[in-house]
Amino acid sequence: MMTALKGAFRSMADSAPEGAPAERPAAAPTAETTPEPASAPVTPLVEMVNVWKRFGEAPRQTVALAGVDLAIRPGEFVTLIGPSGCGKSTLFNMIAGLADTDADGAVLFKGRPQRDGELLGKVSFMPQKDLLFAWRTVIDNATLALEIEGVPRAQARARAAAMLPDFGLAGFETHYPHQLSGGMRQRVALMRTFLFERELMLLDEPFGALDALTRAMMQRWLLDLWEKHRRTVLFITHDIDEAIFLGDRVVVMTARPGRIKTVETIDLPRPRGAEVVTSPEFIEIKRRLLAIVEEESIKSFSTGGAP
Amino acid sequence: MAGRLTETLHRILPVAAGLAALLLLWEGGVWLLDVPVYVLPGPFAILGTMVDNAGPLGAAVQITLGEALAGFVIGSLLGLSIAIVLVLAPPLETALLPLVVMLNSVPSVAFVPLALIWFGLGIASKIALASLAVSFAVLLNAIQGLKRPEQEAVDLMRSFGAGRLGILWRLRLPAAMPSIVTGLRVGLARSTIAVIVAEMMGAYAGIGQVIYQATAQIDYLVVWAAVFLSSLGSLALYGLLTLIDGRLVWWR
Repeated sequence: MMTALKGAFRSMADSAPEGAPAERPAAAPTAETTPEPASAPVTPLVEMVNVWKRFGEAPRQTVALAGVDLAIRPGEFVTLIGPSGCGKSTLFNMIAGLADTDADGAVLFKGRPQRDGELLGKVSFMPQKDLLFAWRTVIDNATLALEIEGVPRAQARARAAAMLPDFGLAGFETHYPHQLSGGMRQRVALMRTFLFERELMLLDEPFGALDALTRAMMQRWLLDLWEKHRRTVLFITHDIDEAIFLGDRVVVMTARPGRIKTVETIDLPRPRGAEVVTSPEFIEIKRRLLAIVEEESIKSFSTGGAP
Repeated sequence: MAGRLTETLHRILPVAAGLAALLLLWEGGVWLLDVPVYVLPGPFAILGTMVDNAGPLGAAVQITLGEALAGFVIGSLLGLSIAIVLVLAPPLETALLPLVVMLNSVPSVAFVPLALIWFGLGIASKIALASLAVSFAVLLNAIQGLKRPEQEAVDLMRSFGAGRLGILWRLRLPAAMPSIVTGLRVGLARSTIAVIVAEMMGAYAGIGQVIYQATAQIDYLVVWAAVFLSSLGSLALYGLLTLIDGRLVWWR
């Protein structure tokens, strides 16, 4: 069924998830507060080096991001949490190539600095809203990126059709977005992102608008899918449970100006089932992260938070 | 099929009944109050005149509708093309859009004398006027529609590697379709008005000229017959447009 995507699979996917840590550098734990050195065993797929974003002139300047350093290794699932207005979306736009970093920093892709929209078309990006096109059916929404890439329509549709069952959309290919539920629309948007086969996937709160039950289901489903395809994922969320449940590492950002407060490596075994969230290890991680995030939220609240 | 037929019947029947009631009321009122013909003739007298003069009236209305339709097509294409150019080149838009809005606020019939001088009394002047009237309506609505997609959707397209033309073709144009259809509707109404008014002020043929001449000859029945016929003609054009609407906004 998934043969259409074979090319995008990482060989790593073939081994059991337990085999994965072997590929992660032993230095991983020390990477909690500092970026990995360039000499790390595995070149990061994407690396942010001293990323700043300032708006306006000196006295009334707003600093959205202040010296963010973060490296993401191939095949990793990194989740990012932080109070609202901490510059998460700005960071995402930079990695997608939609915005430039200030000149004193850089985003590196496979070790090479990228500027002026060079990253456009290299990263598979899913914004917060599903942004499905009302005039396209499910299947034609899913193939949007393929069409832009110049894949013939029949071929694009065939590839999408093969993925429909995995996304729980079999039988809905000729429906229009207004005929779908919120969860289904989100899955179509995810499928569109998946079909744009790039090594790095950026997901900006994809489940933010869903109810708790649908959300939990979608999280497990996303993990299944990720374990099959092993793309590198950077995932923004407001939800600590979601961040821990999904991530290999959880990155916590500070209130504005956004910087990286801490990086927590999540060693919970994979595949992770629903019961993980009630395990003592999970609760312990959550307790620790919650304290940090609360502190930041209060800070952002007392300084007025997002403008 | 049968279901659709009954549905259509259900929609048409009340309208037809209302129309019939109106005509009867009109006829009865005229007869009861003994209204003179030059004030208001009865509807059946008008219908009779229409039948009696079917030949010349039909020819006139054909010319008028032909001019209106030609102007509509040319004006729509013109308006849409200019809208696309302006949206692709924002500096041009900032420079030209105020001008367009200014020109649009002048009623297009004000240009009739100029059009007659420039394009003569034949069909060219009518088509030119209709094109002018239609193009503004389509242009302004199309610009609004083309700019409707939110920045996030544009960014999504960019992240997929789409260029300006790709974004125009796959995002802006389809998103603009409902607005464009609104522009087409407004434009069509304006186009028939412009043509008929222009014909009244100077033409060799057409329903406007028939109205003008009949008024000069104090032949009020023919005036009314021509007015009736031109409304029927506009209604037919509008029906045609409604058919096209469904194809332009196919996803609803």
